[in-house]
Amino acid sequence: MTFLQPFMLAALPLIGLPILIHLINQRRYQTTNWAAMMFLLAANRMSRGYARLRQWLILLARTLAVAALIFAVGRPLASGWLGLAAGGRADTTIILLDRSPSMSQRATGAGASKLETGRRQLAETLETLGSSRWVLIESTTNQPRELTSPKSLLDLPYAEPTSAEADLPAMLEAAHDYIKANQTGRTEIWICSDLRENDWRVDSGRWDSLRESFTELPQGVRFHLLAYPDAATDNVTVRVTDIRRQQTDERSELLVSLALSRGKADGKATIPLQFDIEGARSELAVDMVGSKYELKDYRIPLEGDHERGWGRVSIQADSNPADNAFYFVFDQPLMRKTIIVTDQPQAVWPLELAATIPPSPSAEFAAEVVPVQQLASVPWEQVSLLIWQARLPQQEDAELVRAFIERGGQAVFLPPHTPGDETLFGVQWASWVDDGEELPIQSWRGDQGLLANAMSGESLPVGDLHVRRYCTMSGKSTALASLRDGVPLLARATTDQGGVYFWATTPAPSDSSLAADGIVLYVAVQRAIASGAEVLGNTRSLTAGPPPAGVPTGWERLSGAETALSTEYPFHQGTFAAKDRLMAVNRAVGEDEAAVLDEARVAGLFGGLDFSRVDDRAGSLKSLVQEIWRLFLIGMIAAMVCEAALCLPKLRRREGAPT
Amino acid sequence: MFPDSQPRSFLDPQVIARLAAVPLCARWPMQGNVSGRHPSPHRGASVEFAEYRKYVPGDDLRRMDWRAYGRSDRFYIKEFEADTNLRCCLVLDTSGSMDYGSDGVTKIEYARRVSGTLSYLAAQQGDAVGLCCVAEGVVQNVPPRRNPAHLMHVFDVLDKTTPEGPTQLVPVLHELAETIEQRALIVIVSDLFVEPEQLRGCFEHLRFRKHDVAAFHLLDPRELNFEFYRPMRFLDMEGGPSVFVEPNEISERYHKALGQYLNEIRELVLESAVDYHRVSIDEDYEKVLMRFLVGRTRARGVR
Repeated sequence: MTFLQPFMLAALPLIGLPILIHLINQRRYQTTNWAAMMFLLAANRMSRGYARLRQWLILLARTLAVAALIFAVGRPLASGWLGLAAGGRADTTIILLDRSPSMSQRATGAGASKLETGRRQLAETLETLGSSRWVLIESTTNQPRELTSPKSLLDLPYAEPTSAEADLPAMLEAAHDYIKANQTGRTEIWICSDLRENDWRVDSGRWDSLRESFTELPQGVRFHLLAYPDAATDNVTVRVTDIRRQQTDERSELLVSLALSRGKADGKATIPLQFDIEGARSELAVDMVGSKYELKDYRIPLEGDHERGWGRVSIQADSNPADNAFYFVFDQPLMRKTIIVTDQPQAVWPLELAATIPPSPSAEFAAEVVPVQQLASVPWEQVSLLIWQARLPQQEDAELVRAFIERGGQAVFLPPHTPGDETLFGVQWASWVDDGEELPIQSWRGDQGLLANAMSGESLPVGDLHVRRYCTMSGKSTALASLRDGVPLLARATTDQGGVYFWATTPAPSDSSLAADGIVLYVAVQRAIASGAEVLGNTRSLTAGPPPAGVPTGWERLSGAETALSTEYPFHQGTFAAKDRLMAVNRAVGEDEAAVLDEARVAGLFGGLDFSRVDDRAGSLKSLVQEIWRLFLIGMIAAMVCEAALCLPKLRRREGAPT
Repeated sequence: MFPDSQPRSFLDPQVIARLAAVPLCARWPMQGNVSGRHPSPHRGASVEFAEYRKYVPGDDLRRMDWRAYGRSDRFYIKEFEADTNLRCCLVLDTSGSMDYGSDGVTKIEYARRVSGTLSYLAAQQGDAVGLCCVAEGVVQNVPPRRNPAHLMHVFDVLDKTTPEGPTQLVPVLHELAETIEQRALIVIVSDLFVEPEQLRGCFEHLRFRKHDVAAFHLLDPRELNFEFYRPMRFLDMEGGPSVFVEPNEISERYHKALGQYLNEIRELVLESAVDYHRVSIDEDYEKVLMRFLVGRTRARGVR
């Protein structure tokens, strides 16, 4: 049990007051002459068990009445889990609100989502507990916002659900920065989340530094986690994996590829799909047997002159309405241009070939070999991929490459004939290694990157490759494929936007079998081109979150995001127009995965900190804390009534009446 | 009323005047030494016919019923009831406990009023009055006499007696049962703080001696109610040990002991035919005495 006014408990010694009064009363006796001593002596000889017990009971009732009054004034709270954690009024209460789409999940039979339930419970609890200052850090901007009262959580637009992922470490960093900047007093941090792994990013190295930095805070910070870990097993998600506009002789059509997934695969289920192309709707019912379903290139005819537009795929309502629709925009396919900078044109010829062979007849691909000196004349706004097989660029050239990458472009660097000491994106070529033997690829990442598995789940034949000569690299990078002893063959540099890859060898026959076994090379190049092409053209598909560089401002809503503020459009799924560009915003891939952190891992994240947790479920009506001073008042009254009843003299017959 | 013109604090002439209308009667035949208004166990010369009996030589020929001889040709003696006075012996408890009174009047004062008034009433109708003050033993004993001067002596003793010492009522009553001549009226005025079983022996002894026993059981209202609200230290008025008591704690048991005692007393007086009157001393003694006198009037006439 905890108390809102714990200092009132300092009056607890007053419960000894009845005992003290009793003892004083015993001392203040009167003396009188008495004739009928024989009755007093007889009474003393009788059993005094009940009388003595009654005296003790009266004393106990008085003590309890005083104790109940003191406890009632202390404003006790009925809460099992909060009891040890809370206590006293906090100076600052920081609320970390997970607004990710998974928080829109509703429990079976419940009307309120996890986010709505959490907001209501937080509002009630924090209103009860009280604080000098309330600060909201929500998951989209991670910016601290001061609240006038916890009740404002109920109608604050910044507390509504979004389609953007949450980044709990970043939110905690923002909370830490706020505490440090404002020099707050005793601070409590309330986290409302559904413990999704993608939101909590437990593998992030930031958790260690967060723990240390919170531990170092002198004022003491308490963490309260209001968790909704229940995942809906009957939830179905829809995601468009590819959208292409295709022009045939007779008509133009839209090829839509999509994926459905659901929590449990219990038998066959018919899922009605609704396609909405700028208001024109069509439906398709698909039978889903397993937990995954993929629809490839479903053709939707377009009107003849309909070159660009937007649309939506939706399924029927289920437990989580936030993942029942997926928005897309389409346009005529652009030419996918690759710029190759090399000092050995022969060595990159296979790359040029891989960059110009289109995967489908309708797409146009082009590659141009450019010397380093003409780099400034390249129309970068049309380039999807930069292949660089020369000494790393410096100064103006490096700035051009950086600008291209920040715009969202992709770059693949191959080792030059003679490595220099230049550094780009934190990576530097070291020296060539030739052991005179063919080295196999020992490991590679099939879950992401250029060598990721195909959509069917099959891996690329990376293991068939052999490397005869490779160039070592130094610097900070993430290896996507490695030779023996962990020597990186393909590495990715860390960038905010775009993608920068470093191959440790070239496709030249003397260096590797990349050209001979060209599948891996072709797929890797095409994937890099596809990624780079996403940011080109007049349409763009974005993941909900802060808009990347190069995206124009002044968005206008076309569909979706009905209740969103215009300033929050990038965080809500829907289609938007800005200047002459169309943008589709959708939730992140990780939101479709129902992986939830287990209790031990969460406890481990807050190891060494003052942390308490309560699990609840969506739609729960119970309060986290409840004031129970009324119960104590009732108890006090009951104790007083008992005391009065015990003190009442027994009704007697008038045996002393004269005859 | 007061020949020596000394007003007595325990006598109220108006009360006596009102009570004088009711005679003090004996419930059983008394054995006095002069003619009086009470039935006697012997034949006498009153106007009340008793019986005929056969003439035996030596009988007084004046008591022969000649008319009966004329009718039956046999000699019969006509006998009449004898009326006598009574000897009223007042046994006054003067132990320390009689000094208690919660409402201004102590039990000894109340006892004085009862005893004094009864003495006067008895003397006025020609009965002999005696007084025996009892505490640890017989403190003062005034044998029954019937002249007014003796009454003044009784009043003086009543006036001067002081309550002190423990009660030895039981041996004194046994002693009085033996020493007082048979067929007297014994009036006990006491708080009777004695074990009822011991009293039983006394009363039966007195009845065995054919005494008419009456008892005024004086109790203070506070002794009956025991209304105390604070811890008290009770000092025994008869010199016993003091007792510290939490009234709330002991009240119930006190009443239980008191009730048990009163029940035993009631059974006891019924079985031993004692004219028993429990008196709360806040009650008007005139009413108590009136009740006493009227009650005895109803029981009169048994020979």
